[in-house]
Amino acid sequence: MATVSMKKERMKGTGIRKGRAAITFNILGYSFVGLTALICLLPFIFMISGSFSSEKEILLHGYSLLPREFTLEAYSTVFRFPEKIIRAYGVSVFITAVGTGIGLFILTMAAYVMSRQDFKYRNVLSFFFYFTTLFNGGMVSTYIFYIQYLHLKDSILSLILPGMLSVFNMLIMRSFITAVPSALIESAKIDGAPEFTIFIKIIMPLLKSGLATIGLFMALHYWNDWYNAMLYLNSEEKYPLQYMLYDLLNQAQSLARIAAQSGVPMDNLPTNTLKLAMAVVATGPIVLLYPFVQKYFVKGIAVGSVKG
Amino acid sequence: MKKKLLSIALAVAMVMSALTGCGNTADQKAKPKEEKEETTAESEESEPGAEGENAETEEAAATTAAELDLSKQVEIVMYYLGTEPAGQQVIWDQLNEILLDRLNCTLKVNFISFADYPNKYPLLFSSGEEFDIAYTASFLNYSSLALKGAFMELDELWPMYAPKNYALASETAKKQAKIGGVTYCIPSLNRTYSAYGPIYRKDLVEPYGFTKEIENFEDVEEYLDIIKENYPEMQPLSIYSMGSDVDDCFMYYNGMYPIKGSQNDFFWIDPTEENPQIITYYEYEKTPEFLEMMNRWNEKGFYPKSALSDTDSKKFNNGIAPMLMHNVDNYVSSAVNNPEWDVHYANFATDISNLSFTQDAMVISNTSKNPERALALWDLLTTDEEVFDLFYYGIEGTSYELNEKDEITMIDTDNYSTSSMWAVRNSEYLKNSVGTPDHYGELKDEWNAYIKEDQGAQKYRSFVVDTTAVETEYSACLNTHQQYWWPLELGYTDSEEGLKEYQSMMEAAGIEKVREELQRQLDEYVAGLQ
Amino acid sequence: MRVHFQNFRKELKKNKALFLMALPAVLIVLVFSYLPMSGLVLAFKEYRYNKGVFGSDWNGLANFRFLFSSGVGWKITQNTIFYNLINLVTSQGLAIIIAVIISEIKVIPYKKITQSVIFFPYFISWVIVGTFVYNIFNYETGLLNTIITGLGGEKINVYSIPWVWPIIICIFNSWKWCGYNSVVYIAAVTGVDAECYEAAEIDGANIFQRIRYITLPGIRATVITMLLLNVGRILRGDFEMFYQIVGNNGQLFDATDVIDTYVFRSLTTSANLGMTAAATFYQSVLCFIIIMTVNGIVKKIDKDYALF
Repeated sequence: MATVSMKKERMKGTGIRKGRAAITFNILGYSFVGLTALICLLPFIFMISGSFSSEKEILLHGYSLLPREFTLEAYSTVFRFPEKIIRAYGVSVFITAVGTGIGLFILTMAAYVMSRQDFKYRNVLSFFFYFTTLFNGGMVSTYIFYIQYLHLKDSILSLILPGMLSVFNMLIMRSFITAVPSALIESAKIDGAPEFTIFIKIIMPLLKSGLATIGLFMALHYWNDWYNAMLYLNSEEKYPLQYMLYDLLNQAQSLARIAAQSGVPMDNLPTNTLKLAMAVVATGPIVLLYPFVQKYFVKGIAVGSVKG
Repeated sequence: MKKKLLSIALAVAMVMSALTGCGNTADQKAKPKEEKEETTAESEESEPGAEGENAETEEAAATTAAELDLSKQVEIVMYYLGTEPAGQQVIWDQLNEILLDRLNCTLKVNFISFADYPNKYPLLFSSGEEFDIAYTASFLNYSSLALKGAFMELDELWPMYAPKNYALASETAKKQAKIGGVTYCIPSLNRTYSAYGPIYRKDLVEPYGFTKEIENFEDVEEYLDIIKENYPEMQPLSIYSMGSDVDDCFMYYNGMYPIKGSQNDFFWIDPTEENPQIITYYEYEKTPEFLEMMNRWNEKGFYPKSALSDTDSKKFNNGIAPMLMHNVDNYVSSAVNNPEWDVHYANFATDISNLSFTQDAMVISNTSKNPERALALWDLLTTDEEVFDLFYYGIEGTSYELNEKDEITMIDTDNYSTSSMWAVRNSEYLKNSVGTPDHYGELKDEWNAYIKEDQGAQKYRSFVVDTTAVETEYSACLNTHQQYWWPLELGYTDSEEGLKEYQSMMEAAGIEKVREELQRQLDEYVAGLQ
Repeated sequence: MRVHFQNFRKELKKNKALFLMALPAVLIVLVFSYLPMSGLVLAFKEYRYNKGVFGSDWNGLANFRFLFSSGVGWKITQNTIFYNLINLVTSQGLAIIIAVIISEIKVIPYKKITQSVIFFPYFISWVIVGTFVYNIFNYETGLLNTIITGLGGEKINVYSIPWVWPIIICIFNSWKWCGYNSVVYIAAVTGVDAECYEAAEIDGANIFQRIRYITLPGIRATVITMLLLNVGRILRGDFEMFYQIVGNNGQLFDATDVIDTYVFRSLTTSANLGMTAAATFYQSVLCFIIIMTVNGIVKKIDKDYALF
C-alpha cells in the first residue's frame, strides 16, 4: 500500500513532456479498450435480447439490441423440467470445483519443479509433458482404454480426470514461476526450509495472479466441457449443463444432415430463441467468476510485498 | 484399488504388445473367433427346427421359436438415436412386464442423442461394450460398418429366432440386407416410396389465380414467381446448408435412378435400358438445361444467394418458405401440422419404387451375449401389434388417442413421443395421424399398383453398392461433389464453366476408377437377374 | 547406460522432494495420455471392429492416401498453416496490446468493466457465432447489405468472394480469444518487479518509454511461451470455428478448408476410423518437426526461453 501512494506523489511532480505522453496514451488507450469492449459486448446483448424475443420476429427481422415482442416463452421451455437444470448446475459446479481445486495444485507443483534451474531433469520433464500435446492416441483408442481399463463409462470421474492437466496451462504457469526471483528460493534453502514448505510458503503466495489466471482457465475448461460427457455418460442425471446446451445447439444441424440423406421428416426442432435462452442459462454464473478473480490481478503485489 | 492397479498393469501389457507388434495380439484376435464358434455351435443345436424353415409357415416358425432356451432371465440392451422422453419409464415398465412373461427378458434402452451420433455411433462398436441391438441406417454408414465387421452375421439366426419377421420380409428386403452375400441387418417391415417433389402451400397463391395442381417444373416456376412478387418477405423455395433437392427432383422427373438409391448421389442410370450404363451429371444431356433453369431461379431470388451457409432447416415449417422439395412423409407431417395452409404435394418421381428397406434397419452387435433372445424380442416388437403399439406409440389414453377412423393423435408431448427406433416400423401397424390428407391414401394405392419387382427402378432396388475397393477415391469424389456441384446446381457459379470445372475436379478425384468398379458390380447384378 | 542411471540416482537423492512433487502430474499424464497413445498404430491398420485396434491387419500407408489423392492434402495443409499463422499474430498481438493498456488504466471501475467485458466472446459458442455471422453477411437481409443499401450503395454477395473470408475468420477468431489470451498477459504484467517501475519514475521516463523498456521486456518469457505453444499446434485447425462460420459452402472451401474440416466431411461419408487416425498422425508428425525446429532455434538464442 505504501508504495502505491508514494508512486502517486511522484507522479504529480513529473515534467510536462511526460504529462503529454500520458494524455496521448490515455486518449488512445481508453478509447481503444472501450471500443473493443463494446464490440465484445454487442453479441452478448444480442444473445440475451434474442432469448427474450418471439421466434417469429427473429426469423423475419434478425437480432436486435432490445427484445422484439418480449416473451419468456423460451425460458419457460428451458425450465419446463426445472429439476433437470438444477441437477445439471450441481454437476457442473461439482466437477468445476473439484477438478480445478485438485488439478491446480498438482499442476502448479509440476510447473514449479520444471522451473527450478537446479533440477537436472527439468527439460526432460517438460518434454515428457509437452509431447502429449503433439501426439495422442486418437478418439478410438482413448475411448476404449478409458472404458475397458479405467472403467470410466458413465462415471462422473470421466468428466474430471481426463482434462485435469492441461499441458498448455502447465507451461504458462511455468513461465509465471520463472518470473519469481530465484534468489528467494536460494535464501529459503539456506535457511534450511524443506522444498515443500518453500513451495507452499513462498512460491504460492507470490503466484497469486498466476494461480488466478490458470485457475480461471481450468474452471472455464471444466465448465465448458461437453465432449467427455458426450463420449462417456449414459445416464441423464449426470449430465453437466454445457452438455445439455451442446445437445440443444447441435441437434438441429445433425437432424438436418440425417434428413438430407434419408427420408426422416423433421419436427420439433429446438427454436432459435430456445437455443439462446439455454446459452444464457448455461453461461450465466460462470461469467461472474471472472470479476471475482480479477482482484488478484493487482499490479506490483507480487515481489514488492515480500521484499518490503 | 487393487483392481485398478491390475487394470493399469494390463494396460501397460497392452501397450507393450502394441509396440512389439505381436504377442498379445493373438489373444485379441481369438476373442471374436471364440464367440463365433459359440454361435455356430448353438445354431447347430437347433438344427432340427431349422429344417422346417423352408416351409416358412407360421407353425414351423413357432416350433423353431419354442426351441429358444428361456430358462435364464436376461436383459437385452438396445441402442438407438434420439432422446428419452420424460415420461418414458411408464412405458418401459409395462413393456418389460410383457417381455418377462413372454420371453423371460427385460429391455434396457440407451439413447444416442442426434447431436452426438457422428462421434458416438462408430465408437459404440469399437469399445467392446456388451450390448445386443442397435439401430442402423445408410446415413450411419451401415454398409461400411458391416464390411468392417461391426455386426453379427444373421443369415442363420434371423429365420431361426425371428421367424415371423423373416416370413413377413419381402424378397427385395432380404436381398438388400445382404452385403457380399452375407446378411448383416434386419430391414424394417415398413414400405416407403421414392416419391419426391414439391410440397407447397396453396392458400398463398389461390388469391392470385393459381388454382391448378403443380405438375412440372414450369408450374413450379410460375408458383415461385407469384410468391416472389406478392410476398417479398418470404423466401419462395426452402434451401439451406445441406444443398438443394432440386437436382434429385429433376433427375427423378426424367426417370433416372441413383444407383445408391438415395439422395445426394452423383451416379445415375436409366432403368429402361437393358444394360444400364452409369452416368454422372456432366454426361447427362439434360444437365445444361437444368443448370440454366437454376441460374434463372437464382437470379430471380427464389432462395438466398448464400443458402449454403444458412443453417435454418425449418424454413417451410416456420412459415418462411412456402415450398419445399421433399418426400411424401414430409408432406404428410406438414399437412397434419398446418391444416390452415392447405398443403399440396406433387410427386415428380415418374418411375416410382420402394425405398430400400435397409433405410431403417436393426443390427445385432458383435458383442451380444444373447443374440437369440434379442432376435426373439425383435420378432415380438415387429410382428405383434399390441407390443408394437406399446413400444412405438406408448399407452392409449396416456401418450396417444385414437379417433373413430383409427387415426392417431399424440398427447402430452412434453412427456411422450413416438419412438425414434424407426427400424421397428411395420406398414401393417402404422397408424395415420389425425389430419392426414386423403390424397396420401390415393397416392399410395396408385404407387402400389405401379410397382413391379422386375420392372423399372424397382428392379435395381436390390442392387447394393460396395465401395470398399475404391474407398479413397469414393470419399474424395463425395467431397469434390459437395464442393463443386452444390454451388453449381444452385446457379451460384457460371453454368458452363462451372460444369467444366466440376468435371475436371471429379476426374482428378478419381471418379473413373469408382465408376469402373461400380459398373462392374452393376453388370454382375444385371447378369444375376437373368 | 549405467552412468545415466547413476546420475539419475544421484539426482533423485539430491532432489527427492522435487521428484515427489512432480509425481502426481507425471502419473496422471502417463495414465490418461501416454497409455492410450498406443492407439497411434491405428493409422497404419485396416481397422475392423471385430478385431479391435491391435488385432486389425497392417495396411502400410493406405490410410494416408485419402489425404493426398486428388491433391487436396497439400492445399488443406497450406490453409491450416496459413490460418494458424495469421490468427497467431493477430489474436496474440491484440491480446498483448489490450493487456498492456488495461494494466496502465488508472480508473479502476473502467478497468474492471472493460476487462470483464472483453472476456465475454469466449463464452459464446461457435454455433451461435455462426448464426451471427450469417445474419451480418447474408445477401438478402444481412446487416452489412442493409447498411450499404442504406448509404445508397450496391449490395455485395460476400459469400461468393472467397478472399475476404480469411479476413472475416481472422477477425472473429481474434474477437473470440482476445479476452482469454489477454488474461495471461495481464497476469504476467502484474508479475513484473515493481521496483523497476519506481526506478523508471525517478528517471523521468514517460508512459511509452515505460512500456517499451520495462513492461514488454518483463513479459517476454510469457510471450515467447505462448508463441511456442501456438506454433506447436500449427497444423491443427479449430474445427468448430471453420465449420460453423463457413458451413457447407463449397464456394469457399478453397479458401477455408483446413485438415480438420476435410477429415470431418470424409468421416461422415465413410466411417473409416483408420483415415481419421492417419490424418491426426500426419498433423502430429508435422507439428513435431516444426516445434522441434523452432524450439531448437530458440534454445540456441536463449536457453531460458525454450519450451524444453
